Amino acid sequence: MVSQILIDIWESLKLPNIWIRIALSFVLLILLIGISIWQKTKLESKLIFSFLRGTIQVVLFGSILGLIFGVQKLWLLYIILFLMCLFAAFTNARSYPYPRMFLIGFFAITSSSIIIMTLVMFSFIIPGFEGIIPLDPVTLKLTGEYVIPIGSMVIAFAMRVSGIAVERVKSDIIKSKGSIEAALALGDSPYRAIQHILCESYRAGLTPTINRVASLGIVTIPGLMAGMIIGGVPPVEAAIYQVVIFLMLLSSSFITSIITNVMFTRQFFTKKQQFNIDFLNRMVKSEDQKFGVLLKESWIKWREKRKRKKNDEKTPK
Amino acid sequence: MNSLEESSTNIFSLDNVCFTIEDKIILHEINVEIGSNGITGIIGPSGSGKSTLLRLLNKLISPCKGIVRFKGKDIAEIDSHELRKEIGMVLQRPFLFKGTVKYNLLYGPKIWKIDYTDEGLYKLLDTVGLEDDFLERNVDGLSGGEQQRVSLARSLANNPIVLLLDEPTTALDIVSEEIIESTLKRLATKGIKIIIVTHSLEQTKRLTDQLLFLKEGRLIEKTTSKEFFKRYNDKEIHTFFKNKESK
Repeated sequence: MVSQILIDIWESLKLPNIWIRIALSFVLLILLIGISIWQKTKLESKLIFSFLRGTIQVVLFGSILGLIFGVQKLWLLYIILFLMCLFAAFTNARSYPYPRMFLIGFFAITSSSIIIMTLVMFSFIIPGFEGIIPLDPVTLKLTGEYVIPIGSMVIAFAMRVSGIAVERVKSDIIKSKGSIEAALALGDSPYRAIQHILCESYRAGLTPTINRVASLGIVTIPGLMAGMIIGGVPPVEAAIYQVVIFLMLLSSSFITSIITNVMFTRQFFTKKQQFNIDFLNRMVKSEDQKFGVLLKESWIKWREKRKRKKNDEKTPK
Repeated sequence: MNSLEESSTNIFSLDNVCFTIEDKIILHEINVEIGSNGITGIIGPSGSGKSTLLRLLNKLISPCKGIVRFKGKDIAEIDSHELRKEIGMVLQRPFLFKGTVKYNLLYGPKIWKIDYTDEGLYKLLDTVGLEDDFLERNVDGLSGGEQQRVSLARSLANNPIVLLLDEPTTALDIVSEEIIESTLKRLATKGIKIIIVTHSLEQTKRLTDQLLFLKEGRLIEKTTSKEFFKRYNDKEIHTFFKNKESK
């Protein structure tokens, strides 16, 4: 596999166009360095290092992507999707470092994405339908070329929405602690007592995507649809394809946020229908820390602004 | 009153009850029987564990050690849901749900499938001194006193046999305080057992029949209000509330 990647890279480097492009990039890089020296930004070494590192990374990534896109084995496609879910859950857990967040995120993102992707991947079983994801015309098999990019969109959306949902639900439960307790004291169950909070969090997570769907074709022209049209696919077909993709994204996001919220909010309560005081206190502390960080940032900004103002005043006009 | 008579009238009994949060002891080995007829006050300085004790009674929290019994049964074995139908609670702030007064009053009955006609709801409003036209009003437009009375009526809508109140008049004006106190007295005469946490000695004098005095998480005294105020003068009581070592 590695040797194949290296051979591909070597073959590509033989093409003259590549070298012309690299040379043009170097011209732009030199221009950038010149501007940097002129403006005394001291970013020259950083620019060179980032450019070289970025080029190597993107060449390697592109080559691996080429291999992944060529995958036609169903089990391998599922493993790749599974690994993507794993990384999505890891990223989420780092952004929202709450108890069991990795497990919750992993379960929610994987189950919803795999369900949606399976439905989409096997939609070709409908008689007379070629499938939402087209099969390879020669082998008549699903290929990574379509499954992986669509899967990555579904997983990325699920990851983002589940993060928004958790953050929203956490803050709202802390804010509404009193009314939740009032509902519990009347004999209500924890789930019903926080139902309005859950609904609000779903709305917060899904509304941006719904708005995007509503503005399709007028405000936003999605990359996938544009790419398909440029690639020669009839516009109507590309547009319908895009709508289907958005519905997939919405469905998986909705399922993910439901699973995430249900699993996450369970930790707030005990089996005796009480607040789990230890967990609640941890969440309150994390909220306070968040507030503390915001406060610190505003304080630093204010100080910098003040310093700049003082310097301006000192500078003779 | 001997202990046998007490256990027959007191609805709660606490055996060796302790409660801690993050290694901080809030209640130390409380042994007491609470909730005889009339109104029981729980008094003590701030941080003495009054509210914690009250919340233990309807299982909003559970003791770290010891047993809380309700009608002779360990509440750990009673379903929280069922227990809270019989034990109503009014918190320090009303915490009304968004919507109308009617929505709030019917919140509990909907859970318990208790049917209420508008007439029944008017009666509830009347119990807390509110006019019939309040029923369709949005809770956002109500004053603090009116909101707290709606909160009291909301708890009563479940037909509880015990009512727990956690400093319900702290943030209210004198008129609202008087209305709530007279409502509580009326409810007590109807047989509802009332347990109220208060930091006001005047309210304790006016309202309660029995009282528990807590300090630093320990039960210092359980007596009748008359006896308490006969035994100690106001100055001595204020000293109890101030000095940490006055036990």
